[in-house]
Amino acid sequence: MSIVSARSSRPNRWTAARVSVVWRNFDLQLTTYAALLLSFGLAMAYSNTATSGAGVFEGSSVFLRALMWTAIAVAVFLVATTFDYHWLKTFAWPLYLVQLGLLAVTLAIGGGVGGTSRWVSVFGLQFQFSELAKVLMIVVLANYLGSRVGRLGSLWALIGAGILAGPPFVLVLLQPDLGTALVFGAILVATLFMSGASLRWLGILAASAVAAFPFVWTYVLADYQKARLTAFLNPLADIQGTGYQLYQAQIAVGAGGWFGVGLTNGTQNALGLLPVQDTDFVFAILAEELGFIGAVVVLGLFVALLWRVLVAGWRSKDPFGTVFACGVAAMLLFQLFVNVGMVIGIMPITGIPLPFISHGGASLISIALALGILQSINIRQGRAEW
Amino acid sequence: MSDYLDGRPIPAPSRLRFLVFGLAVVLGAGMLSTRLFAIQVGGTTPYAAFAATTRTVQEALPSTRGLIYDRTGEPLVSNIASYSVKIRPSDLPESKRSAVVETLASLIGMDPADINVAIDSNPGSRFDLVRVAQDVPRDVAAFLAESSSELPGVEVVVETRRNYELGSLFAQVLGYTGPISGSELLDLKQDGYLPDDLLGRAGVESTYEAILRGQYGLQTVERDAAGREIQVVRTDRAPVAGSSIRLTIDAREQALAEEALSWGMKAASLKQGVIIVMNPQNGEILAMASLPTYDDNAFSQGISNADFQKLLDDTNKPLVNRAISEVYPPGSTYKLIAGTGVLADGKITPLTQLRTAGYLTLGGIKFRDWNDRGFGMCNIYCGFGNSSDTFFYQAAAMLGIDRHGYWGKQYGFGSRTGIDLPAEASGTVPTNQWKLDTLGLPIYPGEVYLAGIGQGYVAVTPIQLLNAYSALANGGTLYRPYVVGETIGADGVVTKVQPEVLGKVNAPPSVLQVMRKAARTVVTNRMTFNLVDLPIVVAGKTGTAQFSGKAKNLPFHQWFVAFVPKDPWKTASDPGGMKAVARTDSELAIVALAYNSRAKGNAATEMVKYFLQLHFGITKDYRNFNLMVSRDRRR
Repeated sequence: MSIVSARSSRPNRWTAARVSVVWRNFDLQLTTYAALLLSFGLAMAYSNTATSGAGVFEGSSVFLRALMWTAIAVAVFLVATTFDYHWLKTFAWPLYLVQLGLLAVTLAIGGGVGGTSRWVSVFGLQFQFSELAKVLMIVVLANYLGSRVGRLGSLWALIGAGILAGPPFVLVLLQPDLGTALVFGAILVATLFMSGASLRWLGILAASAVAAFPFVWTYVLADYQKARLTAFLNPLADIQGTGYQLYQAQIAVGAGGWFGVGLTNGTQNALGLLPVQDTDFVFAILAEELGFIGAVVVLGLFVALLWRVLVAGWRSKDPFGTVFACGVAAMLLFQLFVNVGMVIGIMPITGIPLPFISHGGASLISIALALGILQSINIRQGRAEW
Repeated sequence: MSDYLDGRPIPAPSRLRFLVFGLAVVLGAGMLSTRLFAIQVGGTTPYAAFAATTRTVQEALPSTRGLIYDRTGEPLVSNIASYSVKIRPSDLPESKRSAVVETLASLIGMDPADINVAIDSNPGSRFDLVRVAQDVPRDVAAFLAESSSELPGVEVVVETRRNYELGSLFAQVLGYTGPISGSELLDLKQDGYLPDDLLGRAGVESTYEAILRGQYGLQTVERDAAGREIQVVRTDRAPVAGSSIRLTIDAREQALAEEALSWGMKAASLKQGVIIVMNPQNGEILAMASLPTYDDNAFSQGISNADFQKLLDDTNKPLVNRAISEVYPPGSTYKLIAGTGVLADGKITPLTQLRTAGYLTLGGIKFRDWNDRGFGMCNIYCGFGNSSDTFFYQAAAMLGIDRHGYWGKQYGFGSRTGIDLPAEASGTVPTNQWKLDTLGLPIYPGEVYLAGIGQGYVAVTPIQLLNAYSALANGGTLYRPYVVGETIGADGVVTKVQPEVLGKVNAPPSVLQVMRKAARTVVTNRMTFNLVDLPIVVAGKTGTAQFSGKAKNLPFHQWFVAFVPKDPWKTASDPGGMKAVARTDSELAIVALAYNSRAKGNAATEMVKYFLQLHFGITKDYRNFNLMVSRDRRR
């Protein structure tokens, strides 16, 4: 057992001494669960490519791209783990500006389906900066709330956090990407709650959000957004229109049964009946091909991963670590629930990717970054044993 | 270690709140698994059952479109198999679209813009096939089918397409089939039309769409995991083949009419012209040619947008069937109206003479006769036979505009004839009420004069003019003209189309007989040059008309509308043919229009003459080849 010692990058406010890097505290379980989920994602990418008629290792197949993104994600994870997360606190404000800059650039030059601007082409690859912005948002909020733990009883802390989260939220909403904007909201609420913000004020804010809903519905949401939000209530009402994806998705899920029809055998996948089968609705194909058992294993892996993330937050002696872990957990849980909920018809269609499983480089790299920072927090608590 | 710089301890994370978060995770995952269980295993939702039915899909089973024959049974349209290229937009990723369209365009020799237009104007949903090209060569089709991985969303299908055997000869009458549009699909969806369906776009293909199309069937097809068809499980409803139709037009007769028309147009340097031939006894159209025209096959093979635009932009309107869709001033041919009117209303008798002159003055304006000297004292035979303008100014004035309009409508002017072809125009018969309604002014006396000679506001279609003279020829019955004589069901049952009477001209038979004889006088007076020399009896009326307006050089249109009595050969007992035209047994009426003619003679008369020579097999050629130098400029 070797304890690697390193100088803290910078003597920090509340730890005057050096911070030891304790590699034993590197959470192998968390890494294992993430790796398993990642392999499910790769399996789905393989299935999708194999059934599309194109060669699996041909040119720019979905599977090859997924392999490439996985490699990059592993690298990002390792770099983030070895990087001393304390620097993030030092550079929280510049990082906030970077976050706003990325979103503004997306809005300015980004492309997307049907007049939206959601991604930016980087070296010929489409990259959704809003995914990265989510992790940066967690960093910024963790820094802001973490340095105020114990003093968050007032309304002002809530307002401060809200002011921080507001601009990115609006920039994403303008793309327009309602789903990602809601993820920002979930991160904000969860970090406030977990950092000990006043329950009374949180409750009042929640109540006013509910009260504002009719106004938002009438004046802010576009018709197509409303249609998608309500389609899940009765997918059979408009099978050829807004209910189409949902209807086909649920048929795919239903076809899975206990054990599924087997990888690459999904009819809904092969017939191309699902419009965005490799991204937002990938879980439908997973449920069809791997069945209830496969789907529950994936859900179980998510629960295990969330458990390890929360444990990291619980054990962190640094409030930044606690809030950061809770932000990551909130992001993962919200995306899991909304995406799978959408596929199985208990949540509206919002276009939120399923972490690890949906094919998308930005999503994967952002999660790798978040988990890497979490490991960095794990191994830099300055104590040998937990 | 864990306190702020000011010494306050940093509070430990709240155990309760972590518990709450953990509970949320467990609850969320629990809800998802419960619902998954219900859908996948529990059988409480119907979706698992739906999955099985998705593997067998119901598909439309197209019916065979009916054929079109000419009067003698010669096929004018056939269905031939051809390869079509279609795209399913949902399978074509937006990122690859431009590359795929470029590749496809170069392979099949199309303009990429046309492919993009086809995809974007797709009437169905993104999951429906869009036809982008028809009649693709076999080797190209095979190549496309094999390169499906490089061309996602592109499919090659075998379809039948319409082949118009005689090309442009029947173009205006037959029309063509073309892709359905989004708004049409909305209306026709419940009739079984598919988003990539074809439907009749012009001519009888359009008017007889329902009959030709038949009824699509339905079949249940089983597909494998890759979406390939394994087998047809069952035919749920057999398709009913469309009925075939037989035209009243003889292809040979049509060719003669077009030959006469194109010869006349060439001789007189015309850009546009019309000939229609009809049987006055029942309204059967025997030939209908409108030049310039187009080739129906260009459309059934999938016309490019550039070529289509060229046809649309052509100032001579090749796509328009001028025989029924365009209105023109009828000129002197319209003198039939005032002539019939003054006789039937008892304003004059056939013997009454009116003073004709070089001009009449009304309100200080000179209304000129085409003949500077007039024709002196003139009865109806003299007035009609010499086409005296001053005679018919007076006749119209005796009737007044409303009574004149009444007689115009008696002959079917001012409303569509109801011919079984699309886009018929209705023309204009001016009356006081009409002018009040459209221009807010009463009719001026001078306009009554102009109406009497078929100028001013009067506007007619060639088919209306022919139908009016057919009524004159048959003793006053106005039939609905028609081009489809019978339908032949897929079971072989033949249904004849019965002639339909639109009305009777409310004039005594004796008046109509006088007008027929007057029409014969037009020919015997040599108003029609040497037409009288033909060995057959022809009666008719010439017309030269100008759209109203002050400008000097407005185009003249030359008309000739004629009918030929049954047994038309001249006999010794009836050298003038007056007895022949007194009868009401004519089975041949014809109208010719020479649009914007600067010919010195009447080009329309020459066309009719040439057609009659061809039709009756008259070997001696009476044609006047010097149309551009003759001084004969009569009305």
